[in-house]
Amino acid sequence: MKFESAHVDTDSLLRRACGGDASAFADIVRRHQATVFSIGYRMLGRRDAAEDLAQDVFLQLYRKLDSIESIEHLGFWLRRVAANLAIDRLRRVPYSTTYPLDDAALGADAEPGVPDTSEDHLMTRALAKLLGELAPAPRAVMVLRYQEDRDVAEIAAALDMPVNTVKSHIKRSLTALRALMIGARLEIS
Amino acid sequence: MSQDIENQLRRALRPVDPSAGFAERVMRALPESTPRAAPVVALRSAARPNLWRRLSTPAALAASLVVAVLLGQQAGRQQVEREQRAGLAARAELLQALRITSKKLDLAYQAVNRPAPAPPPAEENPS
Repeated sequence: MKFESAHVDTDSLLRRACGGDASAFADIVRRHQATVFSIGYRMLGRRDAAEDLAQDVFLQLYRKLDSIESIEHLGFWLRRVAANLAIDRLRRVPYSTTYPLDDAALGADAEPGVPDTSEDHLMTRALAKLLGELAPAPRAVMVLRYQEDRDVAEIAAALDMPVNTVKSHIKRSLTALRALMIGARLEIS
Repeated sequence: MSQDIENQLRRALRPVDPSAGFAERVMRALPESTPRAAPVVALRSAARPNLWRRLSTPAALAASLVVAVLLGQQAGRQQVEREQRAGLAARAELLQALRITSKKLDLAYQAVNRPAPAPPPAEENPS
């Protein structure tokens, strides 16, 4: 029931934004900014680059509002545009090679100011870092799968890839990450 | 192990918020006027340009045709006037030539018809 009312609210926001209501559009931005920004951040590894990307995504959305059919379509559209824009930018400028992920991107410490040295936390940070070693397309697949919790069919549609290619990217990336994790675990211990 | 790494990936990829004021910065960057989802009124008013666009090409062609015909007629009239002027000039030249020729003929006629001068008196033989 609560979900339905939120759903109706967002649909009405969408209608108002389509009618030119700026405050409704600002609300849409606030509701979806973490998703769009996080995709950019995990893909590009820099806050400034991720904010630029997120801003471009929302500007594109503003121009295309009339083509958005529903709130589900809005979420899909934002993830699709953010991921593809990030892939394009990575192909033009290889951020990962020049700008490694900062601490915030690698996962915050449990208590601010107190470095978390537990193995699990260190492994999580290492995993986030290792993700940056993947090529742009498989990286986008992994971000949409494990950050956005999207299924294979939706990832395939968002990235214009065959479903089998998405499955193959996930399988190969997990194998590569597992191998890298084993190496990292050995280093930690 | 597979489940383990997938769970660790989910933890590693928790969503991150952009810096404070991000939405406000996006709103400031929006263009002043952007084509919106057209309301019904806008669609109705948009019908007029479409009708005009449909008619404008034939209208322009018709106007061009009329202008071309008018220009052609004007050029034809100018051509006739030029030919008339040239004809008059040629006629004047011909008359002038005839007048000159006539004068010359008169002179020649007068010269022919002039009585011959009397021969000089013969000199007396002294012997």
